[in-house]
Amino acid sequence: MPDKILFGAILPQQVDWYILGPILGAITVLFFLTMNQPLGASGAYIHTMNYVRRSGDSVAWRVWYFVGIAFGGFVVTQFLQDAKGLRIGFDSFRNAAPLWIMVPALFVGGILIGYGAKLGGGCTSGHGICGTAQRSKSSIAATITFMSSAIITTGLIRLISGGKL
Amino acid sequence: MNRLRTNIIGLAFGTMFGGVLAAGSLHEYDTIHNMLKLKEFYVFGFMGSAVIIATLGLGTLESRDTKTSFGGTIALQRSDIKANHLKGGAIFGSGWAIAGTCPAPVLVMLTSGVFLSLIVVAGIFIGLSLANKQAEGFGDGEHRLTDQAGQRA
Repeated sequence: MPDKILFGAILPQQVDWYILGPILGAITVLFFLTMNQPLGASGAYIHTMNYVRRSGDSVAWRVWYFVGIAFGGFVVTQFLQDAKGLRIGFDSFRNAAPLWIMVPALFVGGILIGYGAKLGGGCTSGHGICGTAQRSKSSIAATITFMSSAIITTGLIRLISGGKL
Repeated sequence: MNRLRTNIIGLAFGTMFGGVLAAGSLHEYDTIHNMLKLKEFYVFGFMGSAVIIATLGLGTLESRDTKTSFGGTIALQRSDIKANHLKGGAIFGSGWAIAGTCPAPVLVMLTSGVFLSLIVVAGIFIGLSLANKQAEGFGDGEHRLTDQAGQRA
């Protein structure tokens, strides 16, 4: 574990959105300026999966992009923020439900995320940010749909959990 | 040499993206959950401002026919709405709400020390391969099956 005294909390736990959002927008533009491509995370999963399986189409830099997301997260959470160490996470979920509910729920959630992203042609980054910013009708429609679906599902979870989540 | 350069670019942009997500605590279940409960504005502000800046920037590049470093003249991709966009979006949204995370933030969640996020990552890979037969395309928002700029891995 990194040394908290040396590296602790250079960044606050959450930098303001009006700083980070525009930075992410600029990264998207800069990437188009370099590669003329959108930066979709679920696309990076597919390329990585194809690479590991040695089947299907796989572009090397998208595999490195996949690695980079994890690496960037590692650097910031372990060295620039107050590192929290190994933990269960999913805090309010964990407080509201036992592990035997949480683990299968997370697994099913993951499958729905993967299935939906593939069927819909993108996820929060591919449709939500890159596609919408290209003013693509399909991306705007997909983004409105998954936002609505997520808000409705969250409401249902709230009902089912008796207001605990 | 192009291959090495594009790989480094992929890694660098991934690192920046992961770093930004981490700096905003977007890898935390509670951040996403509080947005979807409509309790906090943070993620809406984050995504909204990113989209506004990117829309303006990409529009400017397009109107000037800017030449990109590795992909020729800028070409934004627009496609019409198909049923799969809505079906996929509805399914994706429900998974997003249940797991409180999505494909990129969950990788940051993992490297932040939340080992249970591996279950979500495994689920995403399974879901992607289950849908593989039903859907064409690569999930990049738009459908770029082939990649002039990149080399095969």
